[in-house]
Amino acid sequence: MEAAVDFEPKIVAFLCNWCTYTGADLAGVSRIQYPSNIRPIRVMCSGSVDPMYILKALLDGADGVLVGGCHAGDCHYVNGNYKARRRLAVLQEVLDESGIGCDRVWFRFISASEGALFAETVHEMVDSLKRLGPNPLKAIWFA
Amino acid sequence: MTVIMNNLVIPVGEEGRTRALNEVLGKLLELGVVDAMMVPTMVTPGVITYLLARDPEFARSKAEPFAPVMPVNGASFVAKVVSKKPKGKVCALLKPCEVRALTELVKLKQAEADNLLVIGIDCLGTVARGEYEKAYPDVDRLSVREACKVCLNPDPPDTAFAGINIGYIGLDDGRCLLASLSPDLDDRIRGVIEELGFEKGDGLADQRQAALAVLKEERGNSYEEFLRKTHAEQDDGGVCGIAKLLAACVGCRNCRVACPVCYCRECIFDGDVFEYETRQLLERAEKKGGLKIPGETLLYHLTRMNHMSLSCVACGMCEEACPVDIRLFPLFARIARRTQGIMEYTPGRSPEDPLPFTTFREDELEPR
Repeated sequence: MEAAVDFEPKIVAFLCNWCTYTGADLAGVSRIQYPSNIRPIRVMCSGSVDPMYILKALLDGADGVLVGGCHAGDCHYVNGNYKARRRLAVLQEVLDESGIGCDRVWFRFISASEGALFAETVHEMVDSLKRLGPNPLKAIWFA
Repeated sequence: MTVIMNNLVIPVGEEGRTRALNEVLGKLLELGVVDAMMVPTMVTPGVITYLLARDPEFARSKAEPFAPVMPVNGASFVAKVVSKKPKGKVCALLKPCEVRALTELVKLKQAEADNLLVIGIDCLGTVARGEYEKAYPDVDRLSVREACKVCLNPDPPDTAFAGINIGYIGLDDGRCLLASLSPDLDDRIRGVIEELGFEKGDGLADQRQAALAVLKEERGNSYEEFLRKTHAEQDDGGVCGIAKLLAACVGCRNCRVACPVCYCRECIFDGDVFEYETRQLLERAEKKGGLKIPGETLLYHLTRMNHMSLSCVACGMCEEACPVDIRLFPLFARIARRTQGIMEYTPGRSPEDPLPFTTFREDELEPR
């Protein structure tokens, strides 16, 4: 695992406009420190994240993908986060069976008031990806 | 879900079971209870396709309901015939995996079931289209496709449509066929069938069920073995296994066309999203030192798995359609088993089961 020492994982984060993105904003304005490994993409709802976006990120070399949605019952569009949970669960099975592994894709409910939780989640994810090592898809030219 | 079916015995005479069943099909057209009938037919020696018959004599003389070939999963064709509310009643004679795929298409709002009479028919497997054509008429020595050898549903589902199921599994003497009428079958059609004077066949129905139970148990075991074996062959524990498996893909999208449940009228992979400019391709190639052309093959297949594996009826047509012989069936079978497993969903079982992506429970799938 020596190579992992200098390895800084790249994380693409699809964050719900109403909860997690605002939570990330709060982490920022509250000056909570967290690793700069994430590349946030604001989406209107976690339910709007097609699994293909996540796959595309992974296949193009992202080491991890974080999807952030509202807490259960809090979705601005009533139930988008519940639908996202189903889609993500199916995606995890596909990733696991195909050998990519489901540990690179995280789905978390983080509200607009949980800046600290957002920062903590990014810390955890970066640590976890450092242990996992770089995304092996980066090295496969014929994928 | 137990459905009490009304079972009638269709006697099979000297001329064989095709003749016996075609007589009934012709009668349905003749008496006007259905306006058209979609049935497998043989256009030229050894070449099986579908026929939409209106003339009763056409149906009687040309239908090949027992032909052991499935050139395309017929559900796609039925969906095309009844995509909008049809004026007349269309009858479709389908194999079990076709009935199940059609059930999914109805739920996906790609086919209209209201004016449709589905006649499902037992199936002990189909042989590859090309092999059948080459060997015809000496077809008895051919073995059925891999997907059919491990098929868990050789009988059409009782609950799928208010139709008729034709059974022959377990009725070994070949002297009769069993017609099981759904309790919700249209009264006019029921009347016509009952007027044909067939005897009740509840005893034969039990005999068929017993044979099916034995067959399904055997198939269940061989399916498990098949999944284990192909997993060992195709999976290397990492992502290289699947990448190698799909590396030969030429990006023709035939698997998508052949797939009865991959229903989008406009696929993301046909749009300009993936039409890269030279500059973008060069950049992408630079990242890894080089790039396989056509690219995005792994993305394409993984996306398809996400989009359709919940509705996958394991007909194996994807593999049949592949021009470079990628073994897609075992891969999709394994994925589908997992995704359908977590969603506790059996595609094609019943129009009443909601599609997993259209519903949710508040308390499920935790921890994420």
